[in-house]
Amino acid sequence: MASLESAPAVALKAAPARSRVPGGAALGLGLLVLALLPVLMGASNYMLGLLISALILSGVALAWALLGNLGGMVSFGHAAFFGVGAYASALLSAKLGLPVLLTVPLGGLVAVVASLAMLPALRLSGPYFALAILAYAQIFRILATEASWLTGGGAGFQRYPGLPNVFGLDLASRTGSYLLLVAVVTLCALAYLAVRRSHVGLALRAIAESEDATRVVGVNSTVLKSLMLLLSAFITGVFGALNAHIIGFLEPDYAFSGVWSLMPIIAAIFGGYRTIVGPIGGAVIIYLFDQVVAKSLIAVGHQIILGFVLVVMVLAAPNGLLGLVRKGDRHA
Amino acid sequence: MTDLILQALFSGLLVGSVYALVALGLALSFGAMRIINLAHGELVLLAAYCAYVVEARAGLDPYLAIPLALVVVSVVCAALFLMIDRIREHRELNSLILTFGIGIVLTNAILLVFASDVRTTASPQLQDATSIGPVYAMNGEIVAFGVSLALMVALWWWLKKSWYGRAVRAVSSNRAAATLMGISPVRTELVSFLVAGALASFAGVALYTMSVVQPALGHALTVKAFIVTVLAGVGSIPGVFLAAILLGVTEALTVTLASSALQELAGMVLFLLVLFLLPNGLFGARARRG
Amino acid sequence: MLRRAVAAASIALATLAGGPARADEILVGAHMPLTGSLARSGQAFDEGMRVAIQMFNARSEKHKIRLQVIDDESTPAKAVSAVEKLVSDGAVAVIGGYGSNIIGPASDASNRLKTTYITAGAVSDELTARGLKTFFRINNNAGYQRGMGALLESLKPTSVSILASTKEAPALLAKGLQKDLAAKGVKVTVHEFDPAITDFKPVINKVKLQDKSDILVMSAYENDYVGIIRAAKVLKPPVKLIVGAWSLATPKMYSEFPDLMNNVVGTSFLPFPVEMKDEEGKRFAETYKKTYNKEVEYLSTLSFVETTILAEAIARAADAGTLKSGGLPDAMRQTERETLLGPVQFDATGDNPRFSVAMGQHRAGKIVLVSPAAAATGEIVFPGLPW
Repeated sequence: MASLESAPAVALKAAPARSRVPGGAALGLGLLVLALLPVLMGASNYMLGLLISALILSGVALAWALLGNLGGMVSFGHAAFFGVGAYASALLSAKLGLPVLLTVPLGGLVAVVASLAMLPALRLSGPYFALAILAYAQIFRILATEASWLTGGGAGFQRYPGLPNVFGLDLASRTGSYLLLVAVVTLCALAYLAVRRSHVGLALRAIAESEDATRVVGVNSTVLKSLMLLLSAFITGVFGALNAHIIGFLEPDYAFSGVWSLMPIIAAIFGGYRTIVGPIGGAVIIYLFDQVVAKSLIAVGHQIILGFVLVVMVLAAPNGLLGLVRKGDRHA
Repeated sequence: MTDLILQALFSGLLVGSVYALVALGLALSFGAMRIINLAHGELVLLAAYCAYVVEARAGLDPYLAIPLALVVVSVVCAALFLMIDRIREHRELNSLILTFGIGIVLTNAILLVFASDVRTTASPQLQDATSIGPVYAMNGEIVAFGVSLALMVALWWWLKKSWYGRAVRAVSSNRAAATLMGISPVRTELVSFLVAGALASFAGVALYTMSVVQPALGHALTVKAFIVTVLAGVGSIPGVFLAAILLGVTEALTVTLASSALQELAGMVLFLLVLFLLPNGLFGARARRG
Repeated sequence: MLRRAVAAASIALATLAGGPARADEILVGAHMPLTGSLARSGQAFDEGMRVAIQMFNARSEKHKIRLQVIDDESTPAKAVSAVEKLVSDGAVAVIGGYGSNIIGPASDASNRLKTTYITAGAVSDELTARGLKTFFRINNNAGYQRGMGALLESLKPTSVSILASTKEAPALLAKGLQKDLAAKGVKVTVHEFDPAITDFKPVINKVKLQDKSDILVMSAYENDYVGIIRAAKVLKPPVKLIVGAWSLATPKMYSEFPDLMNNVVGTSFLPFPVEMKDEEGKRFAETYKKTYNKEVEYLSTLSFVETTILAEAIARAADAGTLKSGGLPDAMRQTERETLLGPVQFDATGDNPRFSVAMGQHRAGKIVLVSPAAAATGEIVFPGLPW
């Protein structure tokens, strides 16, 4: 595994203590145990359904945090990648008859291609980048509406295959989809970990410390940031594709909905966007909290609680829940 | 065809003037504090609902809502500023997320109080048509245009001539030096934030009298305002006005010459083109500082 | 920490998912958009359902029905979750919310769980093309197309302009109307618009100067209607009538926008004030007014009809003793009756092929049904404009 051969070649300042994480194996194991719990406990379809939606957000939150943490860029338009991945996979499986397990990663690749159009935006700083990506998401939504000969336009696109049977496990069933998502989230987390431990990750952390200094040493920050954007787009596209096959209906307003940009930000900030487990756990907690607790408190407009959570987290714990927990540990 | 184009230019001019009214506040707080207030559209919306309350519930002229809107929006603005001021690290990024969160809170608060119905003025005078030669508009739109122009000039004059205006410009160009000169950056920033809130109040009332409002509109307003700010470039108040009108006219011409389904697309493409090709915007006075 | 939280959440969820229906009552589930941009529609649907259940329980001796509604937030995943929860709570049938993108996945889930699903909020033909055995709907795009098309043709215009939102249902309706009218030799121009548009003057000016149409048709939603009619009032295109689709010919629209609505025509089921010969319509309007203290809304009528039909089918299946053994879809297929919407009868795909809307015209605060002739309560004012 790539993460094991990550001895730094360049002597750079050690990363701050908070980025110390358990090894890849431990992380993977932890996620797996977490994942199998509901299945072992015999959870209802309803609960598995909630967890499936939460894990899809987990994946996008992870991709968003990867770009934010390693690339140092805040995006307000991950819905662009999500929607492109969804439409690409649905169309490839329906019109070309490709197997769904192939079109899902292809959906991720098409999202990467779409992200190439955003490379010029990398030169922009902070808010300019965030809102440029938002503009892309809008543009893709309108293009999907206008290209009705391909996508069905605003009337939506429905007749495409769902997830298949693999080795006797029906991935379209609630349990099957759930296990598949756990596996994919785990894979993405491991990939993130591998990148962070590689030379690329090291160089990116150095850039975050001082962009000018690293440029002198000969690190090309734009190339590295581009790579992070492409990887983030790929992961988001894959989850968009998975969601499309699980839900079974696409329309531009849904596939490119602001929710896919908004919820991952809240989840990642809540969990701690500088960690790997933070965005994943953040998404699960936030989604379940919103659906089970907040919804029963305020039937209409319960998102107001999410807004408050975001505000409180930025003010009280800018490093997220995990940052808060770790800080407590150190003081103890 | 000429009549079509003339009407498109005129409609674009009027819609653009309201975009300008919405964008002026955002541009001011961005210019002064380097902070994009992502709740700005929601502040405008808040003012629009003040106008709704005054007209539909109290039965008064919607323009009488301006004092109420000023008070409500200023209070929210001051609270927002105090929160932003508490941010210690990664101010640019964290303030973005903070104001984003406030935007969600405001949108849902409006939804909780006013439900998701569509609101707009019922005043027949404001809805009646005025014609200037071959082109037509609603009276409400003409008023909004005048208010926008007047506030643009007032803001420009304030920044140029008043002591606070000069202090705002000093703090924004060099915070440390301004502090040495005895200007309190926090107080200056608070003042610019409150002025931005006042502009949002006028924008909201104008919006209510010439268009339709609903709770989900705030986010779209912020995005439009940001597009205008980018088109204009930092530091030019008349630039904001001109850029907003350019956006309005581009949209109206897209509808007239191509299709109304492409209106939003045209605005977004214009935004990205300017962002990539003219990093200082169309009227930017100076280079963007990193 | 995280693990514990999730475990705690799962236990909480498992307990929440319990609570089966009381033995003497039959549980019917529903998912509706009570928040988000479609909250208004969801609310109106909700009210119609509740009145229908109330009226059914009042007249039924043997069977009592209880309704459980979950907010689906206009999100497919949440609608699917809602169906799963409702079925696990013991619901014998599910009433679906609004929008084909929500109804599609939710009715799929319901079909997997072998539970009858009925909707009045999804018009796409893709839904019935699936051939699900448990899926039913009382209205469809074809019926809207027929109802509006019949009125338009009877006015014999030479040209029609259609302003259509690019959202799902309006886009479908506009496409269908364009085809039908063009086949009758009417010149049709469609102007699609992005739902984000607020200033309609440039589009209306095209209608005025280029199309010069006889009739302006709007296939859109409430906020669009207001923007379009306002722009038309300013520019005064030479049209003779303004016709719209759903949620337009309602007492509520007139009371909120009195200056814009006069003489405007929209799809409608009930005249206002209700002056029906029909007993059921009268009782519905009375009960509704008593419960909610307002006039009947457009969507409430739709959900009243679907809920009533479902309740009657449930009673039939329960009498035959097949309710628990999968007999409800067959009982649904036995439905054949006159309703406030006209005749309802289901074909093999669960569609109601006899659905056809009536058209109502705003007339100084009243709503007069003007088409089709069988349902009409008055003559259409034509030419007739709000200005």
